Amino acid sequence: MKEFAYFPGCSLEKVGLSYHLSTVETTRKLGVDLKELEDWNCCGATTYFHVDELLAYTLCARNLAMAEKDNLDLVAPCSACYKNSYFTNKHLKEDPDLAEHINYALEEDNLNFSGQIEVKHLIEVFVHDVGLEEIRNNVSMPLEGLRVAPYYGCQILRPRKDHEDVEQAEFFEDLLSAIGAEPIPYPLKLKCCGGSLILSSREAALSMVRNLLQNAEDNGAEVIATACPMCQVNLECYQQQVNQEFGTRFSVPVVYFTQLMGLALGIPAKKLGIGKEIVAATPLAPYAR
Amino acid sequence: MSKGKRLLIIDDDPDFVEGILSILETAGYEVETAYNPKDGFDALESKQYDLLLLDIMMGRGAEGVMIARKMRKDPKLREMPVLIITGIREQIAYLFPGQPMHPHFVEVDELVEKPVEPDFLLERVSALIKAAEDRKAKG
Amino acid sequence: MAKPSFSDEIANLLHAGHGNPLRTCIQCGTCSGTCPVVEYMDHTPRRIIGMIRANLKDEVLASNTYWYCASCYHCTVRCPAQIDIAETMYALKRYSIWKHVHQEGLVGPVFSETFVKTILRSGRSFEPILATSYLFSSGARELIQEAFMGTKMMLKGRMPVLPPRIKRLDNFKRMVSRVIPLEADS
Ligand code: SF4
Ligand code: SF4
Ligand code: SF4
Ligand code: SF4
Repeated sequence: MKEFAYFPGCSLEKVGLSYHLSTVETTRKLGVDLKELEDWNCCGATTYFHVDELLAYTLCARNLAMAEKDNLDLVAPCSACYKNSYFTNKHLKEDPDLAEHINYALEEDNLNFSGQIEVKHLIEVFVHDVGLEEIRNNVSMPLEGLRVAPYYGCQILRPRKDHEDVEQAEFFEDLLSAIGAEPIPYPLKLKCCGGSLILSSREAALSMVRNLLQNAEDNGAEVIATACPMCQVNLECYQQQVNQEFGTRFSVPVVYFTQLMGLALGIPAKKLGIGKEIVAATPLAPYAR
Repeated sequence: MSKGKRLLIIDDDPDFVEGILSILETAGYEVETAYNPKDGFDALESKQYDLLLLDIMMGRGAEGVMIARKMRKDPKLREMPVLIITGIREQIAYLFPGQPMHPHFVEVDELVEKPVEPDFLLERVSALIKAAEDRKAKG
Repeated sequence: MAKPSFSDEIANLLHAGHGNPLRTCIQCGTCSGTCPVVEYMDHTPRRIIGMIRANLKDEVLASNTYWYCASCYHCTVRCPAQIDIAETMYALKRYSIWKHVHQEGLVGPVFSETFVKTILRSGRSFEPILATSYLFSSGARELIQEAFMGTKMMLKGRMPVLPPRIKRLDNFKRMVSRVIPLEADS
């Protein structure tokens, strides 16, 4: 059994609840044990880096230290949590002065981090730790004929991690193929959705979301699959505002890759949080139990 | 009193440094400057100073605290008096309301908030240097 | 040491950074060509780098460019001179927050403030995008309010009522005060 420390992140508690549910179901089915960090804190998103990087590292390090205490690698389903935790881990490993200082802060919570663990995004756990072969072997309801646009977003790949080619990623497609779906190629799969700008520049954000939806639709996508709660919310929830703004008529379901996996693995739709969408995921109906 | 005394300023704000530099030099101190924590610590390690004037918010965050803590661990540097001059409240207290905390990291240190009056600055600098010398003399 | 110029100041903020120094920029424009927000920025990323190097402090700080940066890191991974442009944008945000010199009326700084405060109070937050609809309940924040209303209603049962809290909150707060040496007035 593969075991990981699970850091759901704030988004999964409510807004991304379907992601959480489908993560729990699919990992269980595939023999991965996710042990939720007992008292995890917010990673600070990107905001802390505007104000104080040392504090941003401290917040992430607290989670890392709790995982290390259990001797487990940390897995995050949210791309922002993943990126922040990944780079905190990397910087603390590479900079002993920084690590010493952050550990001085962690003392207050009786924690210490010595850099013994790795940080992974949830999708990596499926692709690398479980393996596509194993996933294929467990598929009971292949999603044949379902045309899916895999949306990587920004932070799974960027900034550059040690193990991925940032411009040529194909692992999302491979995963979709493994569950029998048809990943469609579309040029904007790695582009930022701009959702984080909805406050600072609504205009920019909506036009970026629109471009993405348009690009996926033009290339024949029936659904968009995401691996991040923020990407999901941005692409799904702003469709109505995009339509109002640009006179478009988008109605593209945006689901989590774990929900698609769950269906293919024969898990009932309800247990995967399917049915809670704002844009109904009708193309999934033929595969749902 | 200030004759032959060497001071180091580590502070990222060029205008502030320019101001206190001229006050201190006029009073007869020999002053060196470093504008980021890394250059600052390198200078501390490679040269001798009689006092350090240290800012808090620099580089990635409150790196002044990192420097003070590193000094404490060094048997030689921990004897050096430190005058922390910070604008932290002005800089980020709207996020973290509160008083600057006096960290007491080295044997002789003191925390004052920007802006500082020239006379007060000179008085504190010479008082701290003297306090450190007295400590040493006592052994 | 000579008095640092504005570009030195930015370099000082990035002293622990992982990219090459800004002076190695060859002004090729790859960053601007990559940037998804470029048409909404006062100055393109390439120009901002050039302006920092030319010490055009006031113009750089008055621009919306660094607050409009979405931190997508696409420019960073493509820059042929290995300059970390996204980090530079963060450094500018930090500079402007610490010195209170950013453009008036920007939402970014207000948002950062609120978000940071929530985490400090509870150890948790909602993700940045939705946090605000909960946090800003009155007055000067209408702009943000409005941006969220639509979303909030659509999200039906998906919005939390109260932010959750971590359990060891006291430890957490003491931990924070070891990196931010401020203590609450009592
Ligand atoms: S990035 Fe978002 S989801 Fe992750 S911990 Fe932070 S606020 Fe929460
Ligand atoms: S939500 Fe959008 S901006 Fe944020 S990581 Fe995902 S793709 Fe990038
Ligand atoms: S891509 Fe790099 S080298 Fe080219 S203009 Fe931008 S910062 Fe300069
Ligand atoms: S990181 Fe910022 S500047 Fe760079 S491409 Fe993305 S939005 Fe543009």
